[in-house]
Amino acid sequence: MWLKFIGSLMIVTAGASIGFSLAARYMERPRQIRQLISCLSALKSHINYVAIPLPDALAQCTGGITGPVAELFHAMSDLLASDGALTPHSAMTQALNSIDALVLNRPEREVLSVFSANLGGMNREEQHKSLELVHVQLSRIQYDAERLCEQNVKMYRYLGVCGSLAVVIVLL
Amino acid sequence: MGIDVLFKIAGVGILISVIHTALKQAGKEDMAHLCTLAGFAMVLLWVVQLLGRLLNTVQDVFSL
Repeated sequence: MWLKFIGSLMIVTAGASIGFSLAARYMERPRQIRQLISCLSALKSHINYVAIPLPDALAQCTGGITGPVAELFHAMSDLLASDGALTPHSAMTQALNSIDALVLNRPEREVLSVFSANLGGMNREEQHKSLELVHVQLSRIQYDAERLCEQNVKMYRYLGVCGSLAVVIVLL
Repeated sequence: MGIDVLFKIAGVGILISVIHTALKQAGKEDMAHLCTLAGFAMVLLWVVQLLGRLLNTVQDVFSL
């Protein structure tokens, strides 16, 4: 009797934790995109008005932001500072692959990849235009991510708990 | 046969209805219907087994 009870409790806990972790992933994504937009806006100011080298600008644009997005920019800055032959695009790709806590999906990764390919390869006005384009694209992706978050967070929580309860009922 | 089967069926019904509502609110109507169908099939399997036992009992009672 007690063994059954403990087993059921473990199944429900496991199901609920899976549901809640999936929901947390959906909640984290819009937050990271928002932080990314904020960092890129700061980077735009650093490129246009301060005109400092790219590794320094990347390190300084994360002011006030903590977490995986700040780590991404710091990793990119470190990579560019340590290896002078590295292009911003390969630095961004390496940094994106090295940070596991990032929950960015394919669209925003593609936008970041295109952005980093254009970074440092043009004059200041063109980079300004490129950054504005990235800003618009990321805002659109953020809107979609927030809509998905509203839809899916509740669903994954309910599915986790109810699914595990259904499994318990079938096994009992 | 105990009354526990009835409670099991009731529990599955309640859980399936909650899952259906959650999926429907998330805009996944097709998955909601699929889930309801899966629950229905599961309960049907239990009921068919019980009906089989009932028919066997009837056969035994009337020595058919």
